[in-house]
Amino acid sequence: MWWYIGKRLLQTIPVILGATFIIWALVFLRPGDPILGLFGDKPASPAVKAAIEHQYHLDENFFVQWLYFLKGIFTFDLGDDFRGQAISTQLQNAFPVTVTLALMALVFEAIFGVVLGTIAGLRRNGWFDSTMLVATLIMLAIPIFVIGFVFQLFFGVKLGWAAVTVGGDWTVSKLILPAVVLGIVDLAYTLRLTRTSVAENLSADHVRTARAKGLSPGLVVRNHVLRNSLIPVTTHLGVNVGGLMAGAVITEGIFNVPGVGNLAFRSIQQGQSTTVVSVVTVMVLVYVLMSLLVDLLYAVLDPRIRYA
Amino acid sequence: MPETTTSPTRPRPGQERFVAAIEETPLQAIDAVDVGEVPENQWREAWKRLRRQPLFWISAVIIFVLAVVIAFPGLFTNADPQFKQLSDSFAPARDGHPFGFTQQGGDVWARTLYGARASVAVGVLTTVLVAVIGIITGAVAGFYGGWVDTILSRLSDIFFSIPLLLASIVVISVINNVKPDRGFWLSVIVIVLALALFAWPQITRQMRGAVLEVKNLEFVDAATAIGATRFKNLTRHIVPNALAPVIVTATISLGVFIVAEAALSFLGLGLPSNVVSWGNDLSDAQNQVRSGQHLVVMWVPATALAITVLGFILLGEAVREALDPKGRKA
Amino acid sequence: MRLTRRQRLAGVAMVVVGGLTLAACGSDSDGGSAGGSDAVITVYGTNPQNPMIPTATNEVGGGDPIQNLYAGLVAYNADGSVVNEVADSIDSKDSINWTVKLKDGWKFTDGSPVTAQSFVRAWNYGANPANKQLNNYFFYPIEGTDDVGNTTDGAKEMSGLKVVDDKTFTIKLKSAESDFPLRLGYSAYFPVPDSAFDSSGKITKEYGDHPIGNGPYMLTKKGWEKAKQIAMVPNPDYKGAHKPKNGGLTFKFFNSTDSAYSAVQSGELDVLDQVPPSALTTFETDGDVKAYNEPGSSFSSITIPERLPHFKGEEGNLRRAAISQAINRKEITEKIFNGARTPAKDFTSPVLDGWTDSVPGNEVLNFDAAKAKDLWAQADKIAKWDGKFQLAYNNDGAGNKEFSEAVANQIKNTLGIDASAKVYATFDELRKDVTDRTIKTAFRTGWQADYPSMLNYLGPIYATGAGSNDGDYSNKQFDKLVSEASAAQGDARYKLITEAQTLLLKDLPALPLWYQNATAVTGQDVKGFVFTWQQKPQYYALTK
Repeated sequence: MWWYIGKRLLQTIPVILGATFIIWALVFLRPGDPILGLFGDKPASPAVKAAIEHQYHLDENFFVQWLYFLKGIFTFDLGDDFRGQAISTQLQNAFPVTVTLALMALVFEAIFGVVLGTIAGLRRNGWFDSTMLVATLIMLAIPIFVIGFVFQLFFGVKLGWAAVTVGGDWTVSKLILPAVVLGIVDLAYTLRLTRTSVAENLSADHVRTARAKGLSPGLVVRNHVLRNSLIPVTTHLGVNVGGLMAGAVITEGIFNVPGVGNLAFRSIQQGQSTTVVSVVTVMVLVYVLMSLLVDLLYAVLDPRIRYA
Repeated sequence: MPETTTSPTRPRPGQERFVAAIEETPLQAIDAVDVGEVPENQWREAWKRLRRQPLFWISAVIIFVLAVVIAFPGLFTNADPQFKQLSDSFAPARDGHPFGFTQQGGDVWARTLYGARASVAVGVLTTVLVAVIGIITGAVAGFYGGWVDTILSRLSDIFFSIPLLLASIVVISVINNVKPDRGFWLSVIVIVLALALFAWPQITRQMRGAVLEVKNLEFVDAATAIGATRFKNLTRHIVPNALAPVIVTATISLGVFIVAEAALSFLGLGLPSNVVSWGNDLSDAQNQVRSGQHLVVMWVPATALAITVLGFILLGEAVREALDPKGRKA
Repeated sequence: MRLTRRQRLAGVAMVVVGGLTLAACGSDSDGGSAGGSDAVITVYGTNPQNPMIPTATNEVGGGDPIQNLYAGLVAYNADGSVVNEVADSIDSKDSINWTVKLKDGWKFTDGSPVTAQSFVRAWNYGANPANKQLNNYFFYPIEGTDDVGNTTDGAKEMSGLKVVDDKTFTIKLKSAESDFPLRLGYSAYFPVPDSAFDSSGKITKEYGDHPIGNGPYMLTKKGWEKAKQIAMVPNPDYKGAHKPKNGGLTFKFFNSTDSAYSAVQSGELDVLDQVPPSALTTFETDGDVKAYNEPGSSFSSITIPERLPHFKGEEGNLRRAAISQAINRKEITEKIFNGARTPAKDFTSPVLDGWTDSVPGNEVLNFDAAKAKDLWAQADKIAKWDGKFQLAYNNDGAGNKEFSEAVANQIKNTLGIDASAKVYATFDELRKDVTDRTIKTAFRTGWQADYPSMLNYLGPIYATGAGSNDGDYSNKQFDKLVSEASAAQGDARYKLITEAQTLLLKDLPALPLWYQNATAVTGQDVKGFVFTWQQKPQYYALTK
């Protein structure tokens, strides 16, 4: 077990190498000229432009630029972005709030998704199941910016139940509304997955056995149906923590959360390559850790899965 | 059936029987298999079960209507979806224009009808591409394990961490440089590639998880015991039984991809404005949300999107039940 | 008519009439009344992208705080007139050689005095390319710099700047410019204390994070909290025209003007100086906020370079005029912008002194479908039109997509040609194609003036070889008129500007579209909101 975890953590290194390499390539291929963009609509001074390009090694070839970045990672010195702001500060400011937001969204979608999905699965094709299907469709078809706006206007501005914007001095309670909005699209997945798994497992042999030996319906559902139904749901949730973090651009924009989604979005738009790759590197770490966690959870949920 | 069991009369060395030969016992009559009937093909069987489901027929009707709209949008409207006149900006419904006009003065109804083609193409093609890549990689990773699993899983970690936005900017602008004037299909394919590049790992992880679960089940051991090869085991027994979560995810993703095109449009990376799509119109409708005026420009394409997703979710549901061996009652 | 329209621009008028001396301009409205409430006003901001150094900051996130933390030689009144701030006098006899005398008693908030050296050192720092400052462009009028404002031949200092004594320095320009003092209120010309520099002569990182200025406000101890806010309180030593009436300013950072608008609605934010497109229809009737909407100083246009096929010479002029008359500006400003834009009548801005709506030849800016078709047909006689007309825009600017598509549709419908909008995802992507001259379509252009003068809208954009002349327009006569106008004064100057604009209306190096209105919302309890000529709130005057 520990050997397995250690092995997985070691694998992180090639993953980071690979991911940063690909992202560098993408930023490199990105059209436009970020240094020219620094000057806005004023004419750029060629001398200043060249000096800045030299400072950030943009005059080097692609491979050398990548090596400079790796050096930064392994010496824990990411340096500055093209406008002279420390990248590490930007990451430190952005990640805590986004991680909190993503985890809150995850808890929201996990609780609601599993509970509602289980009920829908137990009473398949009943009125509750149908209602949930319609709700799922609505969640899918209404773009997130509409849901966000409406929630903000209704719960925030009109009713005053929640903070309208989050801002730099964020707290967990201010993040509740954005977390719900962020979790809503994924809630559709969690709900449908749980429903399907529960419905499938209801007809499984061991469930019939459990029923036959006279276990109470509640116990059957809890110990036999749910536990076996949770593997696909766990996979989905685990994999999606990262998605929730990166996909929060729109939600973060609506509720003014100073998080990773917006940092990444702005950096990509401005071609701030070092910032983009730094953000992605942290994201890769999150993905690798989450998929490790999910794999370990498999073993908990299904005793037949073992890791050596 | 493996050879050894079909020829019991020629026992292998070491397997000689010291009890009565099986044909000499009355058991034979009881266990006799009707060899006259061709073994039912698994997929044909599934199709049989599919046809018996009302869900399937509801989804079939929706998808058929959608197909008609896609093929002949002109049957339902006389308006030109590309004709926009600012004097009609947000004009209310009038004869021949049942839902009024967009901000730019385009016909809402015509744009929704003609937009189906691009949007459904984006949704379906991306889903199919993602599903094919995801199912194959996930099944291989989960089943073979070891270094194959390591490589595929870490590869999916890498791709998962690439921001969709960055990937799209690059894919789309590289293609822009090569071919600035794209026709309908090339535009759609570019979006499909950009979305798929980002989305396949989700299915991979899902499939891998399901395969890990299924490969330990008794019937797989049974198949192995009767001599099924590893590959046959994977394709015949494990994959069909592991498909359920993938089908659920994929059918929901279909809608998510159509909406994702709206997000890309919103960033200027979606389909070009000469291609009518629900995504383009939904992203344009965004500004109306705060004022709450002229929301018709949003709910018409949104409803079309919801109905489409409904069709495919129901289809997925029906297919999943048809494939589920536990559902085989008849 | 011109001067009567802007009689309140007494400042500029007096400068011009009174022998180029700015000393006379008072600030009676602001003096003394330092009382009022001590409430801290929260205003919309974004995280500064550059270190907060005057010559390094060229975007609003850092620019707005810097305007409040520093005082320059002159300060702008809300109407665009200027009043002497640190300068006691700015004099010139020939509009080339200027002598600046400073007032006594000005101090930076670290206690050090504001001297001639504080200005000259800061400016030289900004102009020296080795320091990688983004605002070097603003020094181009001064002798010893190249076209983009860098010191020439690797020099560390501009030859045109000379410190005479602690309170006096001289500026020598490359060519006569009678309204040069108008420039000096811009943030690139602010002074920097000696303590900002390290031993090697570089401005330190710490200074960029926590600047020390001489302006109406100073940073609190926490000052700039990255990704959160910038907090400032009134500077007790400040003795200029913009004495704060409130108890301080907090620039709260927002990701989008949309979220900021919601924050104003709910009372979490006091002032938002840019209404998001989603609220343009409703903000003036929104009961949760106070709304402000008036013509502003930024100008939008379309540039169709000569190098595009069919846009050269006589044929090109006909086609540009046809396209200009095919665009119904009024309809777009109403339907797309809900009146938050005003159709253009010239190439400058109505907030400026000397502006007129009757430049001869500006009927080419009126929508006239029949005339447009006729002009297009005439051009077709010279050479038959083929291909399609595309208008490029950058999608990361709010409202660009909507108006570009509307313009393309109008051209398409009026002229019956294939016209469409072409999207660039980001500003720098479009900028690169424009700068490299690789763009093969028409493109949107805009101008936000650096100082309140009509000439700033003409020379830097349309003069031969000018830095922002993206369409490579060249007209010797126009160049001559602009340089004559620069040196001229009074009505003679406005007459020359009108002549120059008439030339532009004939050649249409850019098709003027509209002036962007200044729009803002504040909380119900906020008082004293006034727009400056730069479409910004007059921060010091806000109270609640």
